[in-house]
Amino acid sequence: MESHLAYLDAGSGSLIVQALVAGTAGVVVAAKLYWRRLKSVFRRKTPAEATTADQD
Amino acid sequence: MTPENPRPRAEPGSFRDPQTRVFYAGGEVLRGLGAQAAQDWKALRASDFFARAQADGSVTATDEVDRELPGEPGTWSATLRHTPIPFVTYPYEWSHAMRQDAARLHLDLLRRALAAGFTMKDGSAYNLQWRGAVPEFIDIGSFEPARPGEPWAGYRQFCQTLLYPLMLQAHLDLDPRPLLRSQIDGVEPAQMRRLFGGTRRLAAGVLKHVHLHDSIQSRNADRSTGAVREQLRDAGFNSELVVAAARAMAKLVDKLDWSPPATHWGDYRETCSYSDDDRAAKARFVDAALDAADRTDLVLDLGANDGVFARQAAAKAGYVVAVEADPAVVDTLYRQLRAEGEKRVLPIVMDLADPSPGGGWAGAERAGFAARAAGADVALALALVHHLAIGRNVPLPAIVEWLAGMGRHVVVEFVHADDPMAKRLLANKPDGLFPDYHVETFVRLLGERFDIARRETLPGGTRTLIAGVRRD
Repeated sequence: MESHLAYLDAGSGSLIVQALVAGTAGVVVAAKLYWRRLKSVFRRKTPAEATTADQD
Repeated sequence: MTPENPRPRAEPGSFRDPQTRVFYAGGEVLRGLGAQAAQDWKALRASDFFARAQADGSVTATDEVDRELPGEPGTWSATLRHTPIPFVTYPYEWSHAMRQDAARLHLDLLRRALAAGFTMKDGSAYNLQWRGAVPEFIDIGSFEPARPGEPWAGYRQFCQTLLYPLMLQAHLDLDPRPLLRSQIDGVEPAQMRRLFGGTRRLAAGVLKHVHLHDSIQSRNADRSTGAVREQLRDAGFNSELVVAAARAMAKLVDKLDWSPPATHWGDYRETCSYSDDDRAAKARFVDAALDAADRTDLVLDLGANDGVFARQAAAKAGYVVAVEADPAVVDTLYRQLRAEGEKRVLPIVMDLADPSPGGGWAGAERAGFAARAAGADVALALALVHHLAIGRNVPLPAIVEWLAGMGRHVVVEFVHADDPMAKRLLANKPDGLFPDYHVETFVRLLGERFDIARRETLPGGTRTLIAGVRRD
């Protein structure tokens, strides 16, 4: 899905905090996000993933 | 251009979202919508959510009109017309209870919008205005159809301009207005964190909205919001979480109460040096002056105290702005007006010797108080001049000049130097510092700018009321 950018800089960190504010279900989402980030650090990047990471 | 159809003037504070811009034209408030915003508006207009928000007054009454707006051809795909706000105010002019109600309304609208498949692009306190003691959301351009898995883009703005200021007052008893006035984007999480060390981090909402917010923000500073949005979506973020976050914030806002120190209100009543006769004569004088004014659409009560004369003026005026420097007094007045559902008396917090300056981009994004007050029909300055002249050393000629910018009609109560209240102020200054502080001097100076319409010394003999009409 195409990522939507608002006129307002929502703050990348603020978006994650919002999940934590939302309660248990949100904490699970944030944990998943961090777990995926952690995994991607240890995983050998394929060329396609490396491109995505460059855009981060 | 004919006078009936003047060229629309762009609101200097409405440029951040390029998809929408507010213009003023001949007493009308218009909003241009770009192609995308016009599409969002069509969806919004068709929704029950918007119809209800219009009916209950929580969103400014709006219709679509056919008007030419400045801009390159094709800039504006639709034009909206909003019911004007009688007097625009900013968050650094609100009392705590006003801020709390503004925050409640914002979250309430967000939750209702989400339930109807919409979201809000931002979360700024500046999108809220007042009709008397009733808050109103003015930024129609903020609503757009929600996308699945999208967090609320306005969360950070909401924290910085509403939630943090509420926390400062409720948790620390620290007035957030100086910070809001000097920082148009509100209080930063990092600033909050420094103020909420030690056990203060355990206060309601602080750990998550302040500490966690600041640390996660700094750790993600090099990641784009687009990338984080994608990661959140991949991790299963959904709109129910936005609803849950909004609900949690609404609960938190309800908890962030602040009780004004009880002494303030009592103090004012006790130190008020009027007899009943004085009070009655003063009320009659104010009434007569208002009756004599050719227009009373907008009346300013400068130094409004408990608002008794603002309320009285409201009986004869379209709208009254009660300006008072003490946030506790304004807070109490606001709560009373709110309980009455008063929509024509707006209380604001401001030190008139240090009124709100212009702010934001080019100093014009937020208008200074003087610019907003210039359109007033009547200014009441009851028992104010001695505070400015003796308390703050403002020369009498400067006070008269300032009053001339506040309204075409003025009603001034001049407190003589031998009045107990003036004596109290004089006691803090060296003897003979204000040789010109005399009612005759003041009346002569006022007479240079205004035609003196009436003058009366109250039965107590230490206060003189003067009504003048500015010579334009």
